[in-house]
Amino acid sequence: MSELQKKWAKAKFSTAVQHAMAPPPPPLSLAGFNEPDEEAEDRFGSGLVPNTPQDDDSSSASSMSSTGTIIPSPGRALFARPQGFPGRSLDPIPWTTYFERELFLPAADGSITYHAYLTSPAPGSASVSSSGAKSGGSSNGGPLFVTHHGAGSSGLSFAVLGAEIRKRLPTAGILSLDARGHGLTTTNPSAAAGSGTATSAENEDDGVNGVESGGNTAEDLSLTTLASDLLAVLTLTQAAMNWTSLPPVILVGHSLGGAVVTEFASVLLPTLKPPNHPDRSVSSPARPPPPPSTSLPPTHPSPESPASASPLNIDLLGYAVLDVVEGSAIDALQSMHAYLATRPAGFASPRDAVDWHVRSRTLRNAVSARASVPALLVRQEPEPGRGKDEDQRGVVGVEENGIIREEHDDEAKTGVEEGKGQNATRAWSRTGQGKPDKPWRWRTDLAATQPFWEGWFTGLSKKFLSGRGGKMLLLAGTDRLDTELTIGQMQGKYALQVFPEAGHFIHEDLPEKTAMTLVDFHRRNDRGALVLPPKVSELLAQGKRV
Amino acid sequence: MSDLDRAITQLRACRPIPEAEVRELCHKARELLIEEGNVVTVNAPVTICGDIHGQFHDLMELFRVGGDVPDTNYLFMGDFVDRGFYSLETFLLLLCLKVRYPDRMTLIRGNHESRQITTVYGFYDECLRKYGSANVWRYCCDVFDYLALGAIVLGASNTLPEPAPDDVEIEVHNSDGQVISRFLRQKDLDRGRINSTATSGSASAANGQHPITNGVSSSPTSSPSASSNKNTNNNNPSDPTSTTALTGPPGSSASSSSGGSLGNPAGAVLCVHGGLSPLIDKVDKIRLLDRKQEVPHEGAMCDLLWSDPDEIDGWGLSPRGAGFLFGADIVRTFNHRNDLSLIARAHQLVMEGFKEMFDASIVTVWSAPNYCYRCGNVAALLELSEDESGLGVLARSNGDMGRSLGDGGSSSGLGGSSSSGNWSGGVVDTSELPIRPGPARRYRVFQAAPQDSRGMPAKKPVADYFL
Repeated sequence: MSELQKKWAKAKFSTAVQHAMAPPPPPLSLAGFNEPDEEAEDRFGSGLVPNTPQDDDSSSASSMSSTGTIIPSPGRALFARPQGFPGRSLDPIPWTTYFERELFLPAADGSITYHAYLTSPAPGSASVSSSGAKSGGSSNGGPLFVTHHGAGSSGLSFAVLGAEIRKRLPTAGILSLDARGHGLTTTNPSAAAGSGTATSAENEDDGVNGVESGGNTAEDLSLTTLASDLLAVLTLTQAAMNWTSLPPVILVGHSLGGAVVTEFASVLLPTLKPPNHPDRSVSSPARPPPPPSTSLPPTHPSPESPASASPLNIDLLGYAVLDVVEGSAIDALQSMHAYLATRPAGFASPRDAVDWHVRSRTLRNAVSARASVPALLVRQEPEPGRGKDEDQRGVVGVEENGIIREEHDDEAKTGVEEGKGQNATRAWSRTGQGKPDKPWRWRTDLAATQPFWEGWFTGLSKKFLSGRGGKMLLLAGTDRLDTELTIGQMQGKYALQVFPEAGHFIHEDLPEKTAMTLVDFHRRNDRGALVLPPKVSELLAQGKRV
Repeated sequence: MSDLDRAITQLRACRPIPEAEVRELCHKARELLIEEGNVVTVNAPVTICGDIHGQFHDLMELFRVGGDVPDTNYLFMGDFVDRGFYSLETFLLLLCLKVRYPDRMTLIRGNHESRQITTVYGFYDECLRKYGSANVWRYCCDVFDYLALGAIVLGASNTLPEPAPDDVEIEVHNSDGQVISRFLRQKDLDRGRINSTATSGSASAANGQHPITNGVSSSPTSSPSASSNKNTNNNNPSDPTSTTALTGPPGSSASSSSGGSLGNPAGAVLCVHGGLSPLIDKVDKIRLLDRKQEVPHEGAMCDLLWSDPDEIDGWGLSPRGAGFLFGADIVRTFNHRNDLSLIARAHQLVMEGFKEMFDASIVTVWSAPNYCYRCGNVAALLELSEDESGLGVLARSNGDMGRSLGDGGSSSGLGGSSSSGNWSGGVVDTSELPIRPGPARRYRVFQAAPQDSRGMPAKKPVADYFL
């Protein structure tokens, strides 16, 4: 790095610091520079839309990813270094910025403790202990967006999206769960019963220095299990929050999560509907917990839950699937190991991880990355006998925290410019080969989930089209549609929304647009508000002429 | 004009014309289209086509099968662009033909003729790729705003021209002009049928509630029982179609007991890209819209371009996210009120190329074979022949602005014209609304042209996403 560049970078950096230190912009831009206090700020946001940090990125989101047909005008500096990096904070944003509380939901049999983030919807009929006033279906209460992340991600992937949704629809609630093997959801095969439902906003554990998630390797990540987990989380949340009934639900799933919500809506849910007994006992769902192998998914609510906490009352308005299509997903599976191999195996700090995600353009929205990435990592103290994955992939290089920016800028020259990510990724792996001080590891070993990959996506298109309720597919490019969904779309069987400028993590890259789309999706499918013109037969019944 | 002919020649060879010519063409087209109403009146004979979606070579196949312009009078129901690799050539060629032969070419707007949709589904990218700038896309979008929203076809005959027998209502041809199947017009129950290739299975289905879908087949072997689903007004004792000798013009409502009618042998045919709107109960209301704008997200104009018929009662929520679903009762009421015999629309992919629904009161025509070069469907076009008697072009309630306001029909909603004078109003059961006998319809089904792989963008690398 030349002297000049160093100077330039330093200047950039210092102005950035000044900028961040400046008056009181969103408190969070300060956070990185006085870490200990960062959670003191806006922890209790119940009912309030959090004062979310703004992404100052203007360049990264504008490159078209999928169509790739933009011909840049010669005037534009094509290979200019991406601006904005030096001035951008990389510090983790705690979940409390985005959610009202987190829930630890132990299953009845104690085999698993689900973890989820929740912002409650505005009270309607489904609200806290409003005795009896149960009006089946939607009411004036807000809907609950239930979000399921993709493989290797976590519930915080939807943090920024949730806030954006609530900006536009303040009555909405967000329930974002950690799937098993991800985030803070823990399984204990020995069935050590949990300590009851903890609804704690004061839990200081923000997912960064979380506990070791139990035995990733043995997780049963089959689709049926995950769908049952989703049902269990809904049931347990209802019990934990003392809701007399669940608010109207919109399911949102990203990638693997999309497959899960589709499975839930089109396979699991129909089996739950008893013929004419809305309040039938919960103990015998028509479909028993499917996977015989590991932990029984607890479709039985925990003992203390009220009887009305029946999963049979789920009022599903619709489901939205983000950037996953059977055909292209299965095509992509072949190259997945190669892709995983390009990921760094560890990071020196969560900040480095955020930086990597933004630089490699895995995530194209720095704010969202700051919120979601830390939960993907777990700190492993360096020990003599390391796990096997260190051996497979080189540990990745990051420099000391203090000078991190300059070094990165240097690398960025070779790597990031085209927004492809791959180059940058390789550069990283190279430089970091064999460094020992990268204690932050991926919480979820994606390579180990391979046995489940095909099962996640096989039959997805068919299931997606067959489910009841509104259906929406959000894609990062039209070329991802497979034949079945192309036909389905042209027959008008679902709504398709395409954001060519987003990457795979649509909801993180473009939280505002995604939120707008989802709120609109809810508005259209909100049966409470829906007024259709009368049927001809009804007009006739009223003696009107047609 | 020679410029225009040269441009047509060049476009027929699938070569884009220079930007300056596009600009001039779009300017001329706009001048032409601005004079058209929201609902264009078209006289039979006419050949009606559905979605094209930039599949230029298949459009050439369509012209081969349906006849060339200006020999054939064409009506395209929108969605010329997007998805296929030659949206630009497709749309510009159609536009050139429109400017060159304004009376032989009718273009109405589809939901893809919009700025927002074309930026996502390919037309914008294609313009950028082929011209290096978005100017051409912009010119085209300006034209989109002036495209009509619908068309009314008048004067369609109830009988197909020779050599089809008189009582054939539907005839399906393959792309070489050979008859695949024929469906006879339903007549008196006990009247014997002459049926060359299709044997009617049961004669009993003619009354009351019919199976809703018509068993239209595009294969020669599966035709039995299809014609039994054809409904005409058999429950009307004065069925005018029974014998041409006893009534007025073939298929007209004019019979001895109906007191005659004002021409209108087969009722008019409304052509629209998507379907009906709850805000539109009369065709005249379409005429009142301000169409010269980007397709809105909701409202009548949006619905016309986005809605779909479905097997439901009344109106329903469209899963598409725009427009509505509408059921048989809606179509029946609308057709009756507007003195229509048929609604022709596009918008939905039909694997067989066309699909008649609701006792043949609405038909979907799809003209993009092997959609997206991989869906494996066939395409169709719909030919309506001309009524030789010439009565069909007489004034009719929905053929002219304000005509329906002239009599009591506006309040009773009974079509408001004396042409249905044998109907006495009152509270009615929609299933008893007299259905006008549809015009005789000839479908030509065709397959995708052999695809020229040159010019196709290289297959994109697999996205490194998932998980």
